[in-house]
Amino acid sequence: MLKFARNKLVGVARKNDDVLSIHGVLDDDIYSVEVDLCVGIKDLTFLSIEGKWHRWTTPECPRAIEFLQEAQGFCIDETIDGKIHKIVGRKACRHFANLLIECCYAAREAARVVGWEAAKEDQPDLALKDFVAAKAAAPGETAQQKSASAEQRGAPEKSADTPIIQAQQEKSKPDPLESQKGAAGCVIDLHVHTFPASPCSSASEDQLIQEARRIGLNGICLTDHNHVWSAAQVEDLRQKHGFLILRGNEITTDQGDMLVFGLEKDIKGIVKLQDLKEEVARAEGFIIAAHPFRGFLTFGAGELGLTPERAAQRALFQWVDAIEVMNGKVTVKENNLAASVAAKLGLPATGGSDAHDMTEVGCYATRFSTPIQTEAELIAALKSGDYLAVPFRQEKELFHSSYVEKETV
Amino acid sequence: MSENILKFSMNRCTSVEPVDETTLKSVCRLTDTFTSACVEILVRLPDLEIVAVQGQFHHEWRQLSDPNEVLQKVLGVRVGSGMLKIIKGLMGDAEDLDQLTYMVEECCHGIILALTRDILIKAPVNQEGKLEFFSKMVRDNIRLYNRCAAFAPGTRLTQGIEPPQ
Repeated sequence: MLKFARNKLVGVARKNDDVLSIHGVLDDDIYSVEVDLCVGIKDLTFLSIEGKWHRWTTPECPRAIEFLQEAQGFCIDETIDGKIHKIVGRKACRHFANLLIECCYAAREAARVVGWEAAKEDQPDLALKDFVAAKAAAPGETAQQKSASAEQRGAPEKSADTPIIQAQQEKSKPDPLESQKGAAGCVIDLHVHTFPASPCSSASEDQLIQEARRIGLNGICLTDHNHVWSAAQVEDLRQKHGFLILRGNEITTDQGDMLVFGLEKDIKGIVKLQDLKEEVARAEGFIIAAHPFRGFLTFGAGELGLTPERAAQRALFQWVDAIEVMNGKVTVKENNLAASVAAKLGLPATGGSDAHDMTEVGCYATRFSTPIQTEAELIAALKSGDYLAVPFRQEKELFHSSYVEKETV
Repeated sequence: MSENILKFSMNRCTSVEPVDETTLKSVCRLTDTFTSACVEILVRLPDLEIVAVQGQFHHEWRQLSDPNEVLQKVLGVRVGSGMLKIIKGLMGDAEDLDQLTYMVEECCHGIILALTRDILIKAPVNQEGKLEFFSKMVRDNIRLYNRCAAFAPGTRLTQGIEPPQ
């Protein structure tokens, strides 16, 4: 017996010489929605959009309709799916977004048919296949769009000429490891994202470092997505802020995201975890499974009976050196499951904020029993297994409130 | 030229059914003016790992030498958070593979929606009960906060819920 079925139907007609009229229907066990979209034939731009609910779930779902208008003016190019997910999916409803993506696919294909029909007026024998091949071979706007969208997707590169250290700061250079003084061990946030190296982050490295200093961390690791910071850049940041900055990298693999330390290779795209592990081992680095159960316990998936024993059998754990058991972007339950699995497998446990915003840095961190000043020392410390994941900000707040209490008494 | 004759039409159907107690099968079929295609995945519970995948793809002008060769790359991927980036990354971004990749994603969405349905079916019928039920859902899964119009700040479902850090 079927557990679930979703049907989507889209038809595209030519409304007039300039406009395509697209009607889409999505109907499944949970939702039933419709979209009417008009698109310009010449530039495939959204001219109008209307949505309609038939069945929905929450009492607030109907609010989504008004936000569909934010898609007005969208152009069906290579970036359209991303825009629809981001704007329609996040502000309105992901199911409208899903249907709208189908409508865009259908509009693109219909525009092809319209173009072919026009071309056939001059060449009656022109086959669709030949028309498409000729179009694909013709350079022009499409290539430009491709290049533009590729630029948008990639992280803007820092200019080599950018003066990171201002002359004024050179005058009174702080001690780079000032934050380490007086500390027997140290607390480091091992998982931090900066903008623009991680386009999903909203905080610059300077903002994150200043905040990390302010809250009393001893250091942070820059672990931007598939991005390698140069040693010189990081050294400049250390000098500028008088704070311990270390390098890592968050690499997406077929088994999820991995925090990697000690590997300078610039890895793009998705790699097999096993291959990554081999590279890291060759570089004598260290690899941590980042938020290994992110999203595992949402909705029905959380009720499937995923026990720590069962979770520990996941293939990925044989290829990692440690498990991130405190991550700022997942639920407490998901962190707890990661902690149980780490304990079961006897793997070391780390903490990191996964900060994408200044206010998030240090919510979780890793407390090492020895001081760390260099990347080599970080890797040695990680390999020693002598550390603990800690809810750093929470500990600080507790300490502060108990101190204030004592002072008041 | 008649304005009422369609220039293009498509029909995509995704269905999910249990194979046994620990396996779900999700099938996505696409029939459009140019395409006839089907992708099927088997997902193992409870960790939702893709344990088998196969497909067919016929298109008016696009030729895929062996869709199954590409599809095998998603074996072992887990259905859930972050899967789209992983599936796209593993299957590659060649234009000819767009639809095949999208159909794998649709199969995965089908699995998630099938599991979601099991939860939603427990929602109370009355308005007050519904508000409480969905509000608790956001509270328990804070990532849902501000993920759509219904869960945006200021709605009845997010009242009294602190935004995630």
